[in-house]
Amino acid sequence: MPDDVRVKDSIDKGTVAAAKALESENYSAGFKTDIETEYAPKGLNEEVIRFISEKKGEPSWMLDWRLQAYERWQTMDEPDWAKVDYEKVDYNDIYYYAAPKQGAKYESIDDVPKEILETYEKLGIPLREAEVLLGVEGAADTAAEARGGDQKPRVAVDAVFDSVSVATTFRKELEKAGVIFMSISEALREHPDLVRKYLGSVVPQSDNFFATLNSAVFSDGTFVYVPEGVRCPMELSTYFRMNAENTGQFERTLIVADKGSYVSYLEGCTAPMRDENQLHAAVVELVALEDAEIKYSTVQNWWPGDENGKGGIFNFVTKRGDCRGARSKISWTQVETGSAVTWKYPSCILRGDDSQGEFYSIAVTNGRQMADTGTKMIHLGKNTRSRIISKGISAGRSDNTYRGLVSINKKAEKARNFTQCDSLLIGGDCGAHTVPYVENRRADAQLEHEATTTKLSEDQLFYARQRGLGEEEAVALLVNGFVREVMQHLPMEFAVEAQSLLKVSLEGSVG
Amino acid sequence: MTTTALKNPSEAERQLTDLFSQQKPEASQKAAFEAFTRSGLPHRRMEQWKWTDVRQAVSRLATVDTAADTSIELPSDAIELRFDGSAWTIPDKLSEGLKIFAKSGGHDFAQADALPLGALASSMTGHSGEDMLMIEVSAKVDQPLVLTYHGGGAAAFSRVVFVVRKDCHLDLFEHYSGGAGFSAFLAEFGLAENASVDRTVLQESSREEVTAITTTAHLDAKATFKQTALSFGGKLCRMETRLEHQGEGAEATLNGAYLVASGFHTDFTTHVTHGAESCVTSQLTKGAVADGGRGVFQGKFLVPRTVGQFTDAEMQHQALLLENGAEIFAKPELEIYADDVECEHGNTSGQLDDDALFYMQQRGIPKPEARALLTEAFIAEALGDALKGVRDQLIEATRRFLRNQGSN
Repeated sequence: MPDDVRVKDSIDKGTVAAAKALESENYSAGFKTDIETEYAPKGLNEEVIRFISEKKGEPSWMLDWRLQAYERWQTMDEPDWAKVDYEKVDYNDIYYYAAPKQGAKYESIDDVPKEILETYEKLGIPLREAEVLLGVEGAADTAAEARGGDQKPRVAVDAVFDSVSVATTFRKELEKAGVIFMSISEALREHPDLVRKYLGSVVPQSDNFFATLNSAVFSDGTFVYVPEGVRCPMELSTYFRMNAENTGQFERTLIVADKGSYVSYLEGCTAPMRDENQLHAAVVELVALEDAEIKYSTVQNWWPGDENGKGGIFNFVTKRGDCRGARSKISWTQVETGSAVTWKYPSCILRGDDSQGEFYSIAVTNGRQMADTGTKMIHLGKNTRSRIISKGISAGRSDNTYRGLVSINKKAEKARNFTQCDSLLIGGDCGAHTVPYVENRRADAQLEHEATTTKLSEDQLFYARQRGLGEEEAVALLVNGFVREVMQHLPMEFAVEAQSLLKVSLEGSVG
Repeated sequence: MTTTALKNPSEAERQLTDLFSQQKPEASQKAAFEAFTRSGLPHRRMEQWKWTDVRQAVSRLATVDTAADTSIELPSDAIELRFDGSAWTIPDKLSEGLKIFAKSGGHDFAQADALPLGALASSMTGHSGEDMLMIEVSAKVDQPLVLTYHGGGAAAFSRVVFVVRKDCHLDLFEHYSGGAGFSAFLAEFGLAENASVDRTVLQESSREEVTAITTTAHLDAKATFKQTALSFGGKLCRMETRLEHQGEGAEATLNGAYLVASGFHTDFTTHVTHGAESCVTSQLTKGAVADGGRGVFQGKFLVPRTVGQFTDAEMQHQALLLENGAEIFAKPELEIYADDVECEHGNTSGQLDDDALFYMQQRGIPKPEARALLTEAFIAEALGDALKGVRDQLIEATRRFLRNQGSN
């Protein structure tokens, strides 16, 4: 946004600055890594799918599953109901598999090509466990600072570079606790039955156009299994990096939390600045059994394209969690700042009685970005509860849409939902949209939807003022509290971007 | 005559095509039918119709059992126009400043693509033996104008255009009481500067009838359009209002209530464009739905860039599920491109407040009666702005409905 853009007086200056800091010219992850890359033949056909499956050394049922998905995909139409407008992808003009030539998974971290190690270092993601433990690298420091605690949290990282996982840290230590944390390609080889049991059980092969495409060609991603009663001893994370040109990234993540377990998982994503659009069509499936809890956080910072809308990632992602067991809980937290086009609705199926779903989101769009994002809360079980808090900030010439569904099934006795979505426009050339869908079939359901201007409560303001705070200070204090609703749910290991968002307020919202 | 052919037409769509060809359509009607054929009868795969599937509900055009016509006692000075499904009966004597005439070769229906059933209605007016009806208001008309719609057999269509000149006013009551298996009605309002319309609509159909009432309104500067609608639904009923503020300082109030029994379906869909600065829209929709009934509310405020600055718009939808198994589907939508506006939307659905029920019971009011009283009061809030002469009768109709639902 140019410096002289006219901004409404009531909008917090810190917010304007924070949104500006996220403009594409400040994109720090936009460098390319020069490394020899091996590709699948360009385009999409059965041969390419066989090629990917073979590269991964998959069992034959997996190949059949992929081919079934491909067959189905050919009969499907690309969805067009979202408020995004982009030149349709030529699905035959991209590479569906790209991997560093020196092989995929490395035995030891010392075998990982130094270009890749450097790439991750530059992004603030240390892959050498020793370094993480010593706190040498920036990421852990940042997180600790962000939390204001002395204890440096440890994070295990699965690093996915284009189509392959290149390193997974702390695996041994996690194994001691019984936690399986590895790339999905390895899991297919080492724990095929476990993967087979859950894969596609939340997002079926033919769920939607992009998920079906993913089912056919997914290359890598993360598999997590937390056994019964185990509280995962550290935070798990995957860092997705797209590097190769003309390549799509199609990862698949599957997290299963067995009875009474707990896991917190964080994903981060970046890509180089390239002039062409690149496709990212991922599928994430979460399964929470009885009394289990999964906390899933995303810091999405794919290259958004330049200020004129050239280049950038198309982020067409299907994320869904199934609260399969009673009293289970799934919580999605997302900070969305990147991508040229976002089409993404992390959802919860609240199947188990007394299960809970949460969705916390901040989406900031700049330049020519278009984001259509939100959630679906499907209440099936009794006494299920969900909460949706979404903040959208549009600047530049971007469009930012919240689209969310709350559905109460006829048998979902005493279901409850609370939804709050606010949006803010910075300048007069962008758009902010809200499209909530509410389907209620229960008289005893309690549904509340709020999407009003965030006005500060007079009482709160008065209280703060009579404690001796100046008006401006009081407003800053209260407004910050408002955005923290989302931020406090976010582990911030990678989240340098997220920190600047702490300054964001939605004072002056339009609706 | 050539028109675009429908893709895989259903029997009803084939019948509609035949009906259309039997008339001598004007160019504007051809264009409208052409627009209709681009979608055909709207169905659930269309985003705006996902909860109201007309194609499925109207498999073929046929005469069906019709609802008993709720008798409404009209204000004694009312001017009544009757539509029997094919022709209008217009009284000889009209008040000063009111001109009513049938017109052939009407203007193109500009929003045909967004409103497929409005397009259908405007393409079919020749079938009814009448052309488009024009109602021109060029004074402050004191007597309320009443339009009653009943009959038509298998299908009924009408198009009525209201033109309200500068500084003029019209009080209007429309009563749609079924009488056709499938009906599509279109009412278009053009309000000049400082003109005002106070419109009240009552809709009833049987559980075998499908009714679509499409309204468009264009408001010049400082014009005021006030609408209160009460709908009892039908097998399927869509009450769709598309309003555009075109002049600075225009004001719109779009209130409505729906009462849906088992086997019935009502859909309130509104789309308001704030195409001029400093316009105000206020919208309150209430509903009560029994087990096996479905109430749909889709509201949208569109605030375009620059011209929509200083918009003040509020949308509220509140609905009661009288029993489990009732369905209330809502989509209160905002699309905003201007940065200095106030748009709010609120949406709640659930049951009556237990505390209020308890309070009334401990005051000696039996529970069923307390429930009926509270529900009536809840619905009546949206009917408060109805035309004086019929308001109490709408509330009485509400009371009757609640009594039949066994609420007391």
